Amino acid sequence: MILMGEEMREMVLQEVQREMLSNMLAQGKRMDEREKYDYRKVNVQKGVLATAEGSALAQIGDSKVLCSIKFGEMTPFADRPTEGVFMVMAEFLPLASPVFESGPPSPASIELARVVDRGIRSAEVIDTKSMFIQEGKVLAIFIDLYVMDHGGNLTDTAALAAAAALSDTKVPKVVDGKIVRGDYVGPLNLPDKPLTCTFIKVGDHLLLDPLREEERAGECQLTVGTVDGYVVCMQKSGLGSLKKSDVMECVDVALRKGNELRDYV
Amino acid sequence: MEKMILPGEMVWEREVSASGTYLHEGKTYATVMGMMREEKFIPLEMAYKPKAGDNVVGIVVEERRAGYSTDLNLPYSGMIPTRKVRITLDLGGMVYGKIAWVDEVGNVDIGEVDRLPPGKIITVPPSKVPRIIGKKSSMLNQIREKSGCSIFVGNNGYIWIGTRGNVPLVLKTIRLIVDNAHTSGLTDVVAKYLEDNK
Amino acid sequence: MGGSADKPVLFQDGKRLDGRALDELRPLKIVAGVLKEADGSAYIEWGGNKVICGVYGPRECIPKHDANPYRALMKCRYTMSPFASLEEHGRSGPNRRSTEISKVIKEAFNSVVMTGEYPKTQIDIYVDVLQAEGGTRIAAVVAATVALANAGLPMTDMISGVAVGKADGQLVVDLGKAEDNFGESDMPIAFKHRSKEIVLMQMDGKLTAEELGANIDAAIGGAEKVYALQAEALRKSYDASEKQEFRM
Repeated sequence: MILMGEEMREMVLQEVQREMLSNMLAQGKRMDEREKYDYRKVNVQKGVLATAEGSALAQIGDSKVLCSIKFGEMTPFADRPTEGVFMVMAEFLPLASPVFESGPPSPASIELARVVDRGIRSAEVIDTKSMFIQEGKVLAIFIDLYVMDHGGNLTDTAALAAAAALSDTKVPKVVDGKIVRGDYVGPLNLPDKPLTCTFIKVGDHLLLDPLREEERAGECQLTVGTVDGYVVCMQKSGLGSLKKSDVMECVDVALRKGNELRDYV
Repeated sequence: MEKMILPGEMVWEREVSASGTYLHEGKTYATVMGMMREEKFIPLEMAYKPKAGDNVVGIVVEERRAGYSTDLNLPYSGMIPTRKVRITLDLGGMVYGKIAWVDEVGNVDIGEVDRLPPGKIITVPPSKVPRIIGKKSSMLNQIREKSGCSIFVGNNGYIWIGTRGNVPLVLKTIRLIVDNAHTSGLTDVVAKYLEDNK
Repeated sequence: MGGSADKPVLFQDGKRLDGRALDELRPLKIVAGVLKEADGSAYIEWGGNKVICGVYGPRECIPKHDANPYRALMKCRYTMSPFASLEEHGRSGPNRRSTEISKVIKEAFNSVVMTGEYPKTQIDIYVDVLQAEGGTRIAAVVAATVALANAGLPMTDMISGVAVGKADGQLVVDLGKAEDNFGESDMPIAFKHRSKEIVLMQMDGKLTAEELGANIDAAIGGAEKVYALQAEALRKSYDASEKQEFRM
């Protein structure tokens, strides 16, 4: 619940940021002196949670996202009675940013979860057909994205955490229709690692891996999800519009840069 | 390294009035992390409390009948009273001024206001501002000189940098100072850094 | 609490189930200033617990009508992640347990944070348990103290604590998971470090008054050990050679 004065304040500060950024870009510089298609420092740590079947902590610049993968048992969807299910949920922790409030998930956090989900689902890297237990029961995979620090570009950080966590995941044994915690069949079969590359448009400039200040100043964002050689999902968000040439440029960069990021998984 | 003092630890065995401390039963205790240097208690980290006489850099965010409401990077807005200011300010305009007064409920009035031309504003922890300014502005002046930039530093943690000159050098130098604010010999380290990187 | 057919032997041959001595703490590691956005932060690993704390403040009080004209409002939100336990994936969001814990932690810090310095504002303490293994509320309090100091929020004293109890008839300090589940009593307790005044205390189980007194004394000793690690974490956060990189 924001009062009129607060909204006004936010809008003015946003305009100020936009002007500052435009001025810097006109001189060919980003706020942190990166090239337009460079990622900040990337760091991935796998196997960080003993209570999950798979986990990873991903950091891009100052952004930090923890991903946990846990198995459970569920009743399958009526139209796919022998297939397992997986779901991606994101939580923007209030400690991650002064603008995150506690309470129900914000539209931004829901969008992030659904975009990461879309990338994994379209890439078909989780074999749901192998997750059948018995009639009326299938394996469920819970992919939780816990955003712990907001330095900008949470989407790519989250997708990276998810791919790394999936590659860390071990499938638990199922005995008499029940999961045996701590006992594993083997690693989760992961034929590919879907990742995203997010761009921001400022005036005529396209920038990869936006900082928080750049996000505040930018007009719109484009997230391109890839596996090696293919685009698997896309999401345009924010106000403003893109030209087709912008989109094709981003796709081109994403296919290249996605592979660089994949080396960290 | 000099001795580091934690909140709640005793600083002096008698009552002394010093920033970042409180008095209890005849002794003085630290309220924040700090260091003892030459018999003085230097707070290392302190959430900023605005006081009269502080220089501030602000961004005008609202025009009201009583004056201009200014963002000061604080939980309180600063007010530039209309009757005190002879120039017109735009929304988003940046200003440099002095805090005229602060009352017990956090209302902040700003006077002696100057308009700042368009430039870059960055945020630093207010507790590091004294180091960025230095004794008699010695630190700030050497940054201004070696970068060729116009710089205004507010005690509230906003720093305004003009567009002309080596702005990235200023940003990096300020970052260096903030990360090493507690070390001694910093002035020389910064002088060398500016020389090597200008 | 209470017996069960699966109850393990908690104390044998002078050692506890996990091999510790009666007054020995589980391995404890604290790092200050690990988050960029939060005004102050701390990460703690204590036994199998992994807890992150971020502090914001003083900041604008929302909603405005809640603001106190004389002091800052302290708020605390303690939550457990849905993946914190070895068992099933849980629900996210607050529940009755986490609401109660948030309340007692907030009240503990109200005793030491100098809220009168920042009228009409609020100070937020956010604690998230990423991985749990007994004693998370104490881990939360220990981390929050470090985060508040890291944020430069003035306090009259630091808070330190430990959970003590009775397991297989023995007085134990820093209960492990099995002791928590199967022991005869459990008491998380936190003190102002200098004055040893109690700012957080909850107890369940069955003890005589004498045993209770002994428990409190043992807790004071345990809290001292914890304080030493909090102090070390804060000192290290100023050591330029030790990069405060966040690693889990």
